[in-house]
Amino acid sequence: MMSPRESLPPPDDRDTVLVVQNVSKKFCRSLKRSLFYGLQDIATELMGRHQPDPQLRYNEFWALKGVSLTLKRGEALGLIGVNGSGKTTLLRIISGLIKPDTGMVRVRGKIAPLIALGAGFSPILTGRENIYANMSILGLSTKQIEARFDQVVEFAEIGEAIDAPVYSYSSGMAARLGFSCAIHTDPEILLIDEVLAVGDIRFLARCHRRLHQLREQGTAFVLVSHNPQAILSMCQQAVYLQKGMMCMVGETEAVMAQYEEDLFLAGARKESNVLYLSPKPAEESTGLDVTSICFKDPQGNVLQTLISGEPAVLCVTMQAHQAMSQVNLRLSFLEMGKDGQTALYLGGSNDKETFQVTPGLYELQVELPYLGLAPGAYMLRVDVRREALFILEMIEAFSFTVQSNGRMSKSIFYQPRSWRLLPQTTATTSRRATDVSP
Amino acid sequence: MSGSDRHLPETIYTPESRLRQPKQLWRDMWRDLLASRDLAWRLMVRDISAQYRQSFLGIFWAFVPPIVAATGLTLASNAKVLNIGATDIPYPAYVMFSMALWQTFVEALNGPIQAVMAAKPMLARINFPREAIILSQVGQVFFNFGIKLILIAALFLIFQIPLSWTVVLAPVALIHLVMLGTAIGLILAPLGALYEDVSRGLTLATSAWLFLTPVIYPPPQTGLFAQLVRWNPVTPLLVAVRELSTSGMISEPGQFGFASFLAIVGLLCSWMIYRIAMPLVIERISA
Repeated sequence: MMSPRESLPPPDDRDTVLVVQNVSKKFCRSLKRSLFYGLQDIATELMGRHQPDPQLRYNEFWALKGVSLTLKRGEALGLIGVNGSGKTTLLRIISGLIKPDTGMVRVRGKIAPLIALGAGFSPILTGRENIYANMSILGLSTKQIEARFDQVVEFAEIGEAIDAPVYSYSSGMAARLGFSCAIHTDPEILLIDEVLAVGDIRFLARCHRRLHQLREQGTAFVLVSHNPQAILSMCQQAVYLQKGMMCMVGETEAVMAQYEEDLFLAGARKESNVLYLSPKPAEESTGLDVTSICFKDPQGNVLQTLISGEPAVLCVTMQAHQAMSQVNLRLSFLEMGKDGQTALYLGGSNDKETFQVTPGLYELQVELPYLGLAPGAYMLRVDVRREALFILEMIEAFSFTVQSNGRMSKSIFYQPRSWRLLPQTTATTSRRATDVSP
Repeated sequence: MSGSDRHLPETIYTPESRLRQPKQLWRDMWRDLLASRDLAWRLMVRDISAQYRQSFLGIFWAFVPPIVAATGLTLASNAKVLNIGATDIPYPAYVMFSMALWQTFVEALNGPIQAVMAAKPMLARINFPREAIILSQVGQVFFNFGIKLILIAALFLIFQIPLSWTVVLAPVALIHLVMLGTAIGLILAPLGALYEDVSRGLTLATSAWLFLTPVIYPPPQTGLFAQLVRWNPVTPLLVAVRELSTSGMISEPGQFGFASFLAIVGLLCSWMIYRIAMPLVIERISA
């Protein structure tokens, strides 16, 4: 445990559960040196000395630098960044595992890390015994564990196997049990680090439901995930970390857009709704490169806004460097903000639309006579393949919005239709007449 | 579960050394010690049951080492290979009893390092009171001693050694012995988590240490060796347990008092060092 100083003057806002202020942390790249620095740090600490302005020692770097954020009850915050950008380090500092080198972290209430699922599980002991041990580690008293025990077992769907040793469990069962233990500790703040990938889809749905329930009860979340959809669907606010620095903070969608632009659009730019991808060097090319993506109207003008129910043509221009057959495209339209599920999938191979190319520039057009997508923000994933498996190109960064045509309320997709009122014919009248008369 | 009107405990993490607020540090240490009792009990039950469930012979292993050592030494002594002075109780009983005590000390000494090593993944991921793994280990030391006690009781019956009434005080000396071992182990534990040299060096040191402790021989009275044995802090504590159970007289009360003081103060200091060092160690051992 780390220097918890209790009962300081409470923060101004009663609802604030977490304040991170100007936190920095340095790490060392060499193991040997790192261990030596560890000794040095222990000695410094034991002498009660403290450097207010720590400098980097040889081979050290800032894993986090000047990070600040606040979190209120019931809020969810997403941490975004590539591997090694400091997300997990930040979570570890928040949970008090390691000390910050500068700055301050103030936490109100209990933190549960959904980081180490099943920490302390002993394979030899039964599920029942492991629940007790694991939840004790997570800070519950025996009484509290007893009160929650049935819920934990039921949630994990372990059933009869609860009295069998954990080594006889499938990996999914063990993970479910670990998740269930962690999620039933009733924390004020839940730190979730890439763990929403356990179990099958049905269990995943239960996890999400449970997390939703916790949110409604006022639990605050900090979520780290590489799955943009998980963050988009759960968090209103996001922090984008780049090499330990806060590169952007704000609305999740904007932050995510920036992140994805940085991640996928190295060398691409978007201009008046056309995504241009810069040509790849020869050694990176697989023989066919996508050069631009956009939507056009049937007259061939680039569409600035898409409207549900209006015609649109998706145009993908490609540069082929060699002759290939069986080229096909897969288009996935992901809806942002909601569950992030695929709203629409158009598969060239499903439609039996494969093409043959020789070196040259092509424009593939997919005609959508009526845009069926409901108003909202979408992301298009274009996946160009040769035959079924060989991926030539994968572009995941074309985002666009669809606007309503004013006739779309209460619908999740646009249904092309025409209404008609026909005058009643005599034939039906006479049949009715006969029906009524005996 | 979180009511908006509930008073939530607040925790603050800063880079400042916690020695700057010693009062707060001790208060936190005390609070965590109390908070870790439940967990320590769970961990102890977990470790002990896992250990015995994976063993066919079970508690047999607690008896064997002292019996083997005693048999070997008794044979050697009878054959005059070893020249061991007269002991106040029959030699086999003397060796077995002393060996059980020495082993308890060594277990207490190695306990913290082993506990930290075994709990590395847990330590690196969850912030639970760090005292718990140590308490659990100490509990296991006493549990193991409890089993050895069966052997010791059998010895006293077989050799018909009269018990002194002071045997009721023997646990005090035993607790001091375990405290001394834990204190030393606790200082070494954070280092041991960083460098493997520590546990290797400790194995070497304990085997040398055994010969400086009157376990297989009675306390020598004269010479440099006698001085070394006398100033070994384990000696008065271990001898005191033995004397309180049999003769009822502590022969060196001054030494005993000094060693006990060392054990208690040492334990408090090493606990503080352990607490301060652990976060810095965890940072370096990242799971």
